[in-house]
Amino acid sequence: MAKVLEVQGVSKRFLGLRALQGVTLHLGENEILAVIGPNGAGKSTLLNVISGLLRPDAGQVLLLGQDVTHFPPEARTHLGLGRAFQIPSPLPELTVWENLLVGALFGKPGRSRREAEAWVEEVLRLTGLYPKAEALAGELTLLEDKRLELARALATAPRVLLLDEVMAGLRPKEAQEAVDLVRRIRDTGVSVLFIEHLMPVVRALADRVVVLDYGEVIAEGTYEQVAQEERVREAYLGRRA
Amino acid sequence: MRGAVLFLLVFALLPFLPLGVWRAYLLDAGVFMLLYTALALSWDLVARTGQLSLAHGAFFGLGAYGVGLLVPHVGTLPALVLGSLLAGCFALLLGSVTLRLHGLYFAIASLAFSEVLRTLALKLPFTGGPIGLAVPPAFGGGVPLAPYYLAFAVLAVAVGLSLWAERGPFRLAQAACRQSEPVARVLGVRVVRVKLLSLLLGSLVAGLAGGVYAMKALFINPYEAFSLGRAVEALVIPIFGGLYTTLGPLLGGVVLVGLEQVLRLWIQEGYLVVYGAILILVILFLPRGLLGLLGRRRG
Repeated sequence: MAKVLEVQGVSKRFLGLRALQGVTLHLGENEILAVIGPNGAGKSTLLNVISGLLRPDAGQVLLLGQDVTHFPPEARTHLGLGRAFQIPSPLPELTVWENLLVGALFGKPGRSRREAEAWVEEVLRLTGLYPKAEALAGELTLLEDKRLELARALATAPRVLLLDEVMAGLRPKEAQEAVDLVRRIRDTGVSVLFIEHLMPVVRALADRVVVLDYGEVIAEGTYEQVAQEERVREAYLGRRA
Repeated sequence: MRGAVLFLLVFALLPFLPLGVWRAYLLDAGVFMLLYTALALSWDLVARTGQLSLAHGAFFGLGAYGVGLLVPHVGTLPALVLGSLLAGCFALLLGSVTLRLHGLYFAIASLAFSEVLRTLALKLPFTGGPIGLAVPPAFGGGVPLAPYYLAFAVLAVAVGLSLWAERGPFRLAQAACRQSEPVARVLGVRVVRVKLLSLLLGSLVAGLAGGVYAMKALFINPYEAFSLGRAVEALVIPIFGGLYTTLGPLLGGVVLVGLEQVLRLWIQEGYLVVYGAILILVILFLPRGLLGLLGRRRG
């Protein structure tokens, strides 16, 4: 399986606090990879390093075989990296349609206005946001906000999609819908790396799981494999007395 | 769009209206109204990217000094263009160093920039120092309506640029930068480029306005040309009229500059108290400016 995303020995400190320590992982083409770990394990920091909002102190990030460690976020987006934020961050004074159009117009250079608009329509249909296209993004419900977050990342037509806890706060039925949606997205040829706290979601969705604890990778494998590992149980439940 | 064109039409026809004894006064005040409104629009053009500029007084001053120094050598129109380009060059300089800063930090940097330029105007050997610089009138003073129509042309350029920026992709890019820079970047918007282009366009218009001002005032000095008061007026007008629109600064400019003139005639001393009170009332009760009265949605 070709690697579309590689993280090699990435470390990051915040004022002496170790957030990431020599993290190495990869995402295969058409794969769905889950990154899990307790609160503060460094998952969001990892995503910020991958998308370019943070520079790592050491290590490299390779996107589609290209070293992008020193690329700004917009350049990584142009290469095919999409990102949905953990806290939905709509552009509140623009409509849902316009939010997606920003991604469609600027996320992929060389796209004409008409192509961008056609693609936005397709994403709206795929994500079920069509009826809300003309609504102001600042006036959506939480569920719609989450959908918009995902839809906007898709609007940039990514080949690699980063999802930061996009299911948090959803009801089970809504989460199931979101799981189906992510599968459909993968089936269109997108590789997905997602962070998630809800274990049923991880189990249902992930082809492979990487476990972070205190900024280090402590386990890797299928959901069943990592769930067996002593270190993973300790990280989540604490050491047995 | 239609509102903006209507504004321009009224201004274009003003000298042909039967204004009676008020004619000379109105056309005189009209020049300043046109110039300050253009300056306000040029400030709004930058504000749409989320950057609060306090450098617009300085761009205005650069245009004024550029024209003041060049008119005797190259004539009116070339001097205007060169003065505007001078402001543009300094904007690129300021922008390339500071546009990575956000909001208030950029505001402070732009304020410092203005102070540096004022000091330069005071100390350089060819600017006339603290005494200032006499500027010849436009076209040697031979065309009575020249200052008015030059000022009108500057406003028309400002309106044209603003309408262009309000439509299509550039509007989305500016709005995305303003509402969240990290989100804009992750969506692929070249944030620094959008902010730099906005600042460049804004400074070019502000420079033009300053140039026409110099040929109307006939005398400029560093304290006045680079005054912080003008930078503040450039931002008060759009806030008063309605931010991030073309019509807002137009409406704000006409009402606010007009109000200032009327109050000055009417109560003379202390007119600023009434002026200030009206400003505060509008900001308190019309958070979207005068445009809020028209029930328009901004975006």
